[in-house]
Amino acid sequence: MPDDSFASARAGKPAGFAALVRLHQSLVYGIALRMLMDRALAEDLSQEVFLQLHQNIRAIESHEHLAFWLRRVTAHRAIDRLRQNRRIETIALEDDAEIFAATPDDDPLLRKHLHGLILQLAPVARAVVLLRYQEDLDPVEIARTLEIPVNTVKSHLKRSLSALREKLSGVACVSL
Amino acid sequence: MSEDLDNTLRKALRRVDPGEDFTARVLARVAAEARSESSGDMRSANRSVSRLVWLPVALAASLVLAVVVTYEWQARRERAGLEARDQVIEALRVTSEKLDLAYQIVNSPPPSRTPDDAGA
Repeated sequence: MPDDSFASARAGKPAGFAALVRLHQSLVYGIALRMLMDRALAEDLSQEVFLQLHQNIRAIESHEHLAFWLRRVTAHRAIDRLRQNRRIETIALEDDAEIFAATPDDDPLLRKHLHGLILQLAPVARAVVLLRYQEDLDPVEIARTLEIPVNTVKSHLKRSLSALREKLSGVACVSL
Repeated sequence: MSEDLDNTLRKALRRVDPGEDFTARVLARVAAEARSESSGDMRSANRSVSRLVWLPVALAASLVLAVVVTYEWQARRERAGLEARDQVIEALRVTSEKLDLAYQIVNSPPPSRTPDDAGA
């Protein structure tokens, strides 16, 4: 029960905190992995986020606040990490099945272009795309999470989708 | 097309699970951090105890030093004052001798005239 685990975690009970981690680990790890494109770094960053949560759990007021907090802290830490180390070794294209979830009608070309697109994006633009499509946030929520203007969010989304469409339409023309 | 692309992206970018042991690794790290903080707290507590022992000693030493320095300063002032007094006394003595000499010169009878000087 999410509410029980939240109250239990706030009360300092390890079992409650463990339940919260299990509940939200895919949110945190997903953002970290697609931001950093490196499993080891994503694991390390995810652990740091939950460590920070453990230290600040009493400041979290509700489940909604918790999700917002986790997205914000994960995205900001990942952006900072990318800015500090622009030469992070990125995951090989052939190993990216985990990063870009395989679907029943999996299109390897889509995965390839998505991979390329993500790598090209600046850290903040990358975070915008992930918060939009992994977390299904609208531009206002993304702006609040990343503490940037709404118009900047919209601009990043527009350019990113336009770049992806261009890559995909180019592939479609070739295949015809 | 736009909606298709949006849906495709949502499917491709679903959340990723880090694996079953992730929670255990997080809890282990939390425990390690707590141990590290508590040993840091113990070191900090030991430092506080050391400070409590050494503080009065340091204060006492500072007080003694202040007393010694003040005493020495006053002694020097006193010596300088005595030297100045001696110099003044010497100056007055010299002045007094000179004044006595001047008084004697002023008050001594004029030298008497010789017979050659009178009725020439």
